[in-house]
Amino acid sequence: MNDLTPQKKSGLSKWSRRGFIGAGVLAGGGLLIGIGVRSGNPIGALAPKVAAGEGEQLVNSWVKIGLDNVVTAIVPHCEMGQGAHSVLAQMLADELDADWSQVRVQQAPTDGSYIVTDTARQFVAPFTMNAADWLEPTWDGLFTQIGRLADAMLTGGSSSIRTTGQYQMRVAGAAARQMLVGAAAEEWGVPASEIETRDSTLIHTASGKSAPYAEFATAAAEQPMDQTPTLKTPDQYKLIGKSKARTDIPSKVNGTAKFGIDAAPEGVDFSYAATLRPPVPGTSVASMDASKAKDMGGVLQILNMGDFVAVVADSYWQAQQALNRVDVTWTEAESPIKTSEDQFAAYARAMDEAGADGGDEAAAKGDFAGAFESAPTKIEAEYKVPYLAHAPMEPINCTAMVKDGKCDVWTSTQVPLRVRTELNAALGIDKDAITVHHPYLGGSFGRRLEGLYTVMTARIAQATGYPIKSIWSREEDTQKALYRPAEISRFQGGLDDDGALVAYDNIFTQRNDPAEASVPGIYSIPNTRVRTADAPLHLPFAAWRSVDHSQHGFFIESFIDEAAHTAGADPYEYRLAMLKDAPRQTAVLKKVAEISNWGAELPEGTAKGIAIVESFGSIVAQVIEVDMSSGKPKMKNVWAVCDAGYVVNPDGFKNQIEGGIVFGLTAAMYGELDLVDGGVKQSNFHDYKMLRMDETPNIMVEIINSGDVPIGGAGEPGLPPAAPALTNAIFAATGERLRELPIAKKFA
Amino acid sequence: MRNNAFLAVGLLTLALAACGSSEPAPVVEQIVIREPGDPVATPEAPTEEAGEIDKVAFGEEAFAQCSGCHNADAGGPHQAGPNLHGVFGQQAGSKEGYPYSDALASSEITWDYASLDRFLSNPAGYVEGTSMVAGAVRDGEERAAIVAYLASTSEGS
Repeated sequence: MNDLTPQKKSGLSKWSRRGFIGAGVLAGGGLLIGIGVRSGNPIGALAPKVAAGEGEQLVNSWVKIGLDNVVTAIVPHCEMGQGAHSVLAQMLADELDADWSQVRVQQAPTDGSYIVTDTARQFVAPFTMNAADWLEPTWDGLFTQIGRLADAMLTGGSSSIRTTGQYQMRVAGAAARQMLVGAAAEEWGVPASEIETRDSTLIHTASGKSAPYAEFATAAAEQPMDQTPTLKTPDQYKLIGKSKARTDIPSKVNGTAKFGIDAAPEGVDFSYAATLRPPVPGTSVASMDASKAKDMGGVLQILNMGDFVAVVADSYWQAQQALNRVDVTWTEAESPIKTSEDQFAAYARAMDEAGADGGDEAAAKGDFAGAFESAPTKIEAEYKVPYLAHAPMEPINCTAMVKDGKCDVWTSTQVPLRVRTELNAALGIDKDAITVHHPYLGGSFGRRLEGLYTVMTARIAQATGYPIKSIWSREEDTQKALYRPAEISRFQGGLDDDGALVAYDNIFTQRNDPAEASVPGIYSIPNTRVRTADAPLHLPFAAWRSVDHSQHGFFIESFIDEAAHTAGADPYEYRLAMLKDAPRQTAVLKKVAEISNWGAELPEGTAKGIAIVESFGSIVAQVIEVDMSSGKPKMKNVWAVCDAGYVVNPDGFKNQIEGGIVFGLTAAMYGELDLVDGGVKQSNFHDYKMLRMDETPNIMVEIINSGDVPIGGAGEPGLPPAAPALTNAIFAATGERLRELPIAKKFA
Repeated sequence: MRNNAFLAVGLLTLALAACGSSEPAPVVEQIVIREPGDPVATPEAPTEEAGEIDKVAFGEEAFAQCSGCHNADAGGPHQAGPNLHGVFGQQAGSKEGYPYSDALASSEITWDYASLDRFLSNPAGYVEGTSMVAGAVRDGEERAAIVAYLASTSEGS
């Protein structure tokens, strides 16, 4: 029997055992501080199964101080618009007491020593993040090994700030500061405790001495290193908690920022490739007729690569035009799933077979069957959501050069090390001879967590011998990618005489990440059971912004709303009563009711809906006001209240919550991919619509810093409550319960 | 108990992500037309001296510039823009299954030589609110040829 009680989380005090700090002198002077994990530390019984090798160098370098007094934060995460680069530097610079105007950000190279241990750890076993001291060496060594094995130099799971920022950037900054102080104390002959640091300057007030960091950067490297430097407390923060302007914004406004698709390596004269993959997963090229494409302008080569077809030409336009004229026949698909109806039928069949009590138990407490049996009021509901694409603005692209046993690629990716591993497997070139350059990403949302497009490009480069830039057409990316799964979720609930939800049962088919997404753990429901049934998934799975929460947020918060209405209760009051053991969630819900003026009189046809979801360590409640008087939903206002423990950059955080809401409302209103003949029907933004400016409601975001808890993420938690808050509002306005997304087709 | 169960699942996921290596895949067919930098053998542009120009063929070639958004193949799919097979002679905004702008759908234009010529020279200038915000064909002869090509797809249908 699993325990649904939310994990008891300890405070931040345990971070300090994590680190192993090393330092060195930069070529040409300056200090380099690294923080990583003790090599050769004792690891647990699982070690022999996952250890990658003896005596590996595990020192990760996060900060350098140049002789020009410029502090550079070396950031292992990618920048895809979420602002992690700048905010990670902000955390490091605060502990270092650096002059923010003299702080720069540098993208860490794709190297095994830049694995983000704590991010891997957050994914695999979040409960160890604040483990007891005595366990630290064990867990940490283990996760470093896992990280290296699994190429965990990744950006995802709303994790950059709460893992790398908290456990590595701040520690590296604090350690660097102590060593600078130590060097100055020695030179000046004064106690270290009398030296202050401010704006990248060392100051000894009594003697009137002061010096820029750069002056002591080299000497600092000789200083002893404190394994557990003292971190600031919130009252000492100078940069953390402030809305410092992001360092990447100016270049994005003036157009100088370089994204993957802008790659133009100096001295490389590349040709362009356009590619065509099979329309149905699991099929490949049966035959290719290139006769119509051969004589078209600019064409250099036409290739049947087995699993895809490519045209290489002088320009992308020419390559794509010629590709459009290549006739390809594909092998027959084995999957019996041809249409969306087939996919949903497969889900329904699996759940029918599981029956009332079957399937795999994902979580349970109490006695559902008994409580349901004796409940005076029973309710049932089935919800349904379609496949979704990520549709990032920057097209999928890669530039690759394969020459003299070496491979260089330039690409937008969330997983540079995984890309290197996939290239190694596909090309047979040593990892050491593969360099993955990864500039900014023009949006991603989970789309670029895989390396197929880089492998395809490098294979073309290898086959032709030319440096290649390949760009996927919008149609290719919409139809041939990886997707958020379609899903059906079924509920049964039992209400007692007072209308309280005392029995809760849920079954669905696709369980991915995070494991707890389907568990209504914040609510006090005495008898709860969550089950899964095993059903085939036709299109390949990808994590899609907020992953399982994007679906279960809608399912759970719709069902709770249905229970409230069945009980004749106000949906806000009903939730509040079920949050009696959850003080942080209660505070968030109360605040959103307050700022949205919940319960106030509204014009005819207008109503509000409410939802609350905790995901990626952050609690977010939303109220959406919708006007149904025209017969179609017109979203007017969204109020969101978020408790992420402590917000490092409030403006950046709000920005991410707003983005999550717009992304979630886009999916709720329009997002849908249909299967036709086993392939995706939609192709481009005309039939896979985004929410437009004129449809986007006003969004108000408020932050609660509840303090001494591990901090939460920002990139994803804004999304899950958006869809249920909207459908709950539509129900309140019209009495019609929408159990299927997207909404817009209902009102077309 | 719960913690251990979740841990096992997580380890498996990451371990799988690390595997999956395979042999380099062979190229099935490689057609080499020319090397980068080699001179392009351009077909000679039709001249008046060369005799009468096949306007429809010229139009089909010129239609390449429209093919980022449209095709005119019989039974071809809608792309970012609608399929244009047989559009000549039809009412604007009437192709089944394409989400036209309200502006075009309610324009009551019937596509003929004059209206297509006018629309293609400046789509938004002719139908304010059309979602065809790019793709105007500036060159009059080219435009006429494209219209002739589109008209040819309506013949016999």
